[in-house]
Amino acid sequence: MSEAIGIRGVAYALPAVRRVLSELATLGQLRSEPELLEQFGFAEVCVAEEETPYALALTAAAALLDEQRVEPESVDTLIYCGTPSVAFSPAGTAGGAADNIATTRRFRYPSTRLQFDLGLACASTVALDQLACTSLFAAVRMARAIILAGDSRRVLCVSSEFFPEDAGREALYNCTADAACAVLVDAGVDRNRIVASAQTTKGYYWDADAMPNEIVASYFPTAAYVIAQALRRAGWAPNDVSLVVPHNVSVRSWEILLGLTGIARARLWCRNVARIGHTLAGDNFINLRDAIDDGSVRSGDRLLLFAYGYGAHWTALALEA
Amino acid sequence: MRAQRSIFITGATGLLGREVLRRLLGADPRLRVYALVRDPRALVADSQIVPLTGDLRADALGLAPSDRAAVQRDVSAIIHLAADTTFSAPLERARAVNTFGTERVLELASDCALPIHVAYVSTAFVAGRRTGLIAEDAIETTSWVNAYEQSKHEAEALVREHASNWVILRPSTVVCDDSNGRITQVNAVHRALRLYHEGLAAMMPGVVESSVDVVTTSYVADAIARLALREDAAGRTVHLCAGAGALGLDELLDVTYERWARDSEWRRRRIARPVVCDLETYALFERSVEDVGDASLRRLTRALSHFVPQLALPILFETTNAEVLLGCAAPPVRDFWLFMIDHLIATHSMARVPRPASRDPQRAA
Repeated sequence: MSEAIGIRGVAYALPAVRRVLSELATLGQLRSEPELLEQFGFAEVCVAEEETPYALALTAAAALLDEQRVEPESVDTLIYCGTPSVAFSPAGTAGGAADNIATTRRFRYPSTRLQFDLGLACASTVALDQLACTSLFAAVRMARAIILAGDSRRVLCVSSEFFPEDAGREALYNCTADAACAVLVDAGVDRNRIVASAQTTKGYYWDADAMPNEIVASYFPTAAYVIAQALRRAGWAPNDVSLVVPHNVSVRSWEILLGLTGIARARLWCRNVARIGHTLAGDNFINLRDAIDDGSVRSGDRLLLFAYGYGAHWTALALEA
Repeated sequence: MRAQRSIFITGATGLLGREVLRRLLGADPRLRVYALVRDPRALVADSQIVPLTGDLRADALGLAPSDRAAVQRDVSAIIHLAADTTFSAPLERARAVNTFGTERVLELASDCALPIHVAYVSTAFVAGRRTGLIAEDAIETTSWVNAYEQSKHEAEALVREHASNWVILRPSTVVCDDSNGRITQVNAVHRALRLYHEGLAAMMPGVVESSVDVVTTSYVADAIARLALREDAAGRTVHLCAGAGALGLDELLDVTYERWARDSEWRRRRIARPVVCDLETYALFERSVEDVGDASLRRLTRALSHFVPQLALPILFETTNAEVLLGCAAPPVRDFWLFMIDHLIATHSMARVPRPASRDPQRAA
């Protein structure tokens, strides 16, 4: 039997400013009526005004290493998720940061700076992009693969992404927030053992703005398929799932999706939809941390994480707590 | 030489009505047909046909007194095919044609000089929300998926109560002309399939036992033409349905997907097969589309909402009467479904699919 690979810990960082739906509506940041988004479970979101994506990433990752009492030199690999060209730009200036792409400033990588700032002297770095809200899933999946390949024993995954500043605060009827999240994946750890994963990418839906109806229609059956695939690989039946740790999209859409998967709706842990909103950085892992902290997760529980990302990607992870 | 027989027919300009009429005239060159039509120009010119301008929604069917008198004097049978098959119609509108129109036809029958044999073309879906084996003689139903079904159920009750000699013919959904799959008229089933093909169908209500009972115009028109005037069919209710030849919903979705996936351009889009779900989940999805979907998606979903819940009701239509009287069963859905699919994609582009009304071939006279 191969050695267990698990998520040793999760930490996250949120911007200081919180805005409720009515404020966002007044600021012209919503397309839908705030009452509708409220029906979908949203209440407030954290909005970066002073922070940079990099600063939040550093805060989350440093907190994780500190909480887990992990020596920075023990990290073999750092996987960074986020758009490099805007990583060092405070919110509200990201548009100007696009100029970086045309200069040698494009080589100022947040992943290598993070390696230095955190003192990850032994860590090689990798960066992931173009996976939107599924980036951190891909990082965790890749971390597991790297460990299985024998190249690393400990992988730090860090994701930090702000919603595009001129895009408002709504994406496909979901209220979006800014955040960073760090996940430590270790060999030989039974806690939050990674049991199985699944991902489907459908490039046909690459231009989300051009085909919102098609994406809404494809979202549900493809999500049901990916979840079923992850459960099958884990050897679990839908009823075996103790807790569904969601991405923070509309609670209504989760009720529909769970109806398609055969998993009881009561098993959805959705407290952060109202408290945080939907982040690009990694809702599911932020929620995992909070669900553990509030006692919703017991040892041995079977956890299902699922997320969708523009692009379009559907991904699921089965964990045993 | 046999005496000339005269009948009165409604719905003769509809797809099904035209086919029935053609068969009746072909079978009896001496038959005279009084045809109730709103616009006589819509009727094919034929020396055996006497077009009568009128409307099911009008008092006394809107017939001129002389026309009504001719019918009362000559006719010995009535074939009542006309209906408003708009699934999304409110009950009041559905009743105006289907229930009260039938009532007016029965009044005409009772005013005729000769004993009148009434053949009423209903729908198998008067069974409404009942599940399991639906017997042909079953009439007890208390809830329906849409007003169309209810209004037809009410009309059947009127026929049984007021006609002295009747046969009720209940087709299921007509989806193509014949076993070659040709589609002359697009209806709600085709619109649902187009949504699936375009990647706009996320889910369909259903259960493991759900099946899809559809038939061809050719089978139904043959059956009506053969049974409508037969004395030994009197007092019988006859399901003109695929019955045991219906296709399971899951299998139907699979074979449809496999057919389309033969096209490499379609296959590379990786459109998901709709998930079969319970009614509660489907209702949540409908509510979400209503709340957030754009106008076109809302319109399409609303049109489907008046018939797709039927898929979640596992039913099997008994077809014993039909098989005994006709000497054969309806063609199994498996025999023509894929040809119909091919024809739909080849000749009926989305732009030609009328939205949002859900209409079937039969129309009000």
